Amino acid sequence: MEPAIALETRGLTKRFGGLVAVDGVSFSLRSGRVNAIIGPNGAGKTTLFNLVTGELRPDDGEVLAAGVPITGLPPHRIVREGVSRTLQIKSVFGGLTVADNVRAAVMAHQGIRSAFRPAASYRAVGERVDALIDEVGLARHRDRKASALSYGDVALLELALALAAEPKLLLLDEPVCGMGPEETERAVARIRAVASKVDVVIIEHDMEVVFSLASHIVVMASGAILAEGTPDEISRDPRVQEAYLGAPEDDE
Amino acid sequence: MSGGAAAWIGRGGLALLGAALLAVPFVLPELGYGFWVNIVTEILIWSLLAASVNLLFGYVGLLSFGQALFFGFGMYGATLAVIHWEAGFWTGLLAGTLAATAMAAVAGALAVRLTWHYFAIITVVFSLIFYFAAMSNKTLTGGDDGLSFSAPAVFDMAGVTVTLADPLAQYFSVLGVVAACYAIMGVVVRSPLGLAFAAVRENDRRARLIGIDVYRTRLVAFVLAGALAGVSGALFAFFGRYASASYMVYHVSGEAVVWAIVGGIGTLLGPLFGTALLIVFRELVSTVWENYLFAVGGLTVLVVMFAPLGLAGLWRGALGRLTAPRAAPAEAPADPVAPSADARAVPGGR
Repeated sequence: MEPAIALETRGLTKRFGGLVAVDGVSFSLRSGRVNAIIGPNGAGKTTLFNLVTGELRPDDGEVLAAGVPITGLPPHRIVREGVSRTLQIKSVFGGLTVADNVRAAVMAHQGIRSAFRPAASYRAVGERVDALIDEVGLARHRDRKASALSYGDVALLELALALAAEPKLLLLDEPVCGMGPEETERAVARIRAVASKVDVVIIEHDMEVVFSLASHIVVMASGAILAEGTPDEISRDPRVQEAYLGAPEDDE
Repeated sequence: MSGGAAAWIGRGGLALLGAALLAVPFVLPELGYGFWVNIVTEILIWSLLAASVNLLFGYVGLLSFGQALFFGFGMYGATLAVIHWEAGFWTGLLAGTLAATAMAAVAGALAVRLTWHYFAIITVVFSLIFYFAAMSNKTLTGGDDGLSFSAPAVFDMAGVTVTLADPLAQYFSVLGVVAACYAIMGVVVRSPLGLAFAAVRENDRRARLIGIDVYRTRLVAFVLAGALAGVSGALFAFFGRYASASYMVYHVSGEAVVWAIVGGIGTLLGPLFGTALLIVFRELVSTVWENYLFAVGGLTVLVVMFAPLGLAGLWRGALGRLTAPRAAPAEAPADPVAPSADARAVPGGR
């Protein structure tokens, strides 16, 4: 039996003026394992995520999530196809409480758009909100404004927002970027827990995190795929060492 | 606990405000200030235009300098219905509101594709186009001179006819319509739709990524705001028995923006207080100084500098200090109106 595919791209290409940011990228990431995309800054990793989530339109090529073509759909439709993501710069609704952040996401996912009933009066939504907040470990901060949270907690809230859409595929863009060692450890534990239920693709610069989470790694450089394989294969690949591990800019 | 107390004081304040507004047409004339009944009526009407700015800017994050366009459509919708169809107050109000709503749907479909200054500019452009169209199309609009009509009926049943010429009928018709508008807004901003508004305002990129159709959400807000401005314009036409293209100019839009900001953006009743303050100020100062707009400008700058959340922000700050002497760090002052209002007291930090 063919292994299920979480995310597939075929000849995906994006140009910005003369720069080819993503250059004919084709890969097929299997379901049931954590996949990582690594590469030096400017390799096109985040652009690739933006193409997958519909925030950018590809100039060429196709994206399939769990076998369903999603190329060219607007972002809010792609979320409904089961693809959620977090951003490198953590992105939540700063002026709203943690609970309202998650409530907005749950209601968007469930298509609840009434203009007449108080948002807080939906019992089932409220229960789902509490469950998600518990799942990421933010119960203590339920009624605080998101803008008052620590950086690590904002990252966890963002994870809750992404999970509210009940995704099949979760794209994490540098999930531990900017975190201290303790926060990193906490975040890695959460990601591992999430990855047992949802397919996860991460972009990450922290090699320790990549090697501890991922069982399949795609290495990008200059918009194209340089190498692909298990962590062992990747760490032994001389091209990767030359282009990436040897490069001086692997710390931020 | 503290949130509860603040909510009760807020409710008390609202009841007081309601009682005061109900008493206005009886008390002010007794005190020899009969003229001020009309000022209060005007404040109520104009505050809806400020509320329309606030719905867009305070709740969805879109700053419009073109709400006078929809005010004008409301005004002419009502006036033309009265003149050509002999409509009464309610039919005229409906006609004005529908005209403004339809115009907002058309303008919004284009405008909400843009944000920030692009959005602000296109709203100005739209209102300018229609301002000049209205000014030059004298046969329909009366241009600068406008069109006037005589007071239509508010109530016409069983041989009893009450028209707007009756001061009490006029005041309570306006008060009723304005209160209904605020009540509807209050319901909407707390609803799932209101939460989507807030999400779009706070972070439109994240809003898209949780599955909100940002374009559609903004368009709905724009149309609602257009309807509010239309109600305001229709009421103002009835109040003055008159419609004029001169009210569609961008000065009018700009004034509404100032009222909303002074009153407190993102709060339900802020625009009412901002409009009240600046119109009362105008009435008092303009009689002694013809360049009173300088003073209005100065007052606005002071409010923005020292009370950036407007009058409503001052009120909330005072409530917060009053009711939270031993409460947990009150970084979220209890808000009597916004969706996050029911800030539950957090017992024992659980």
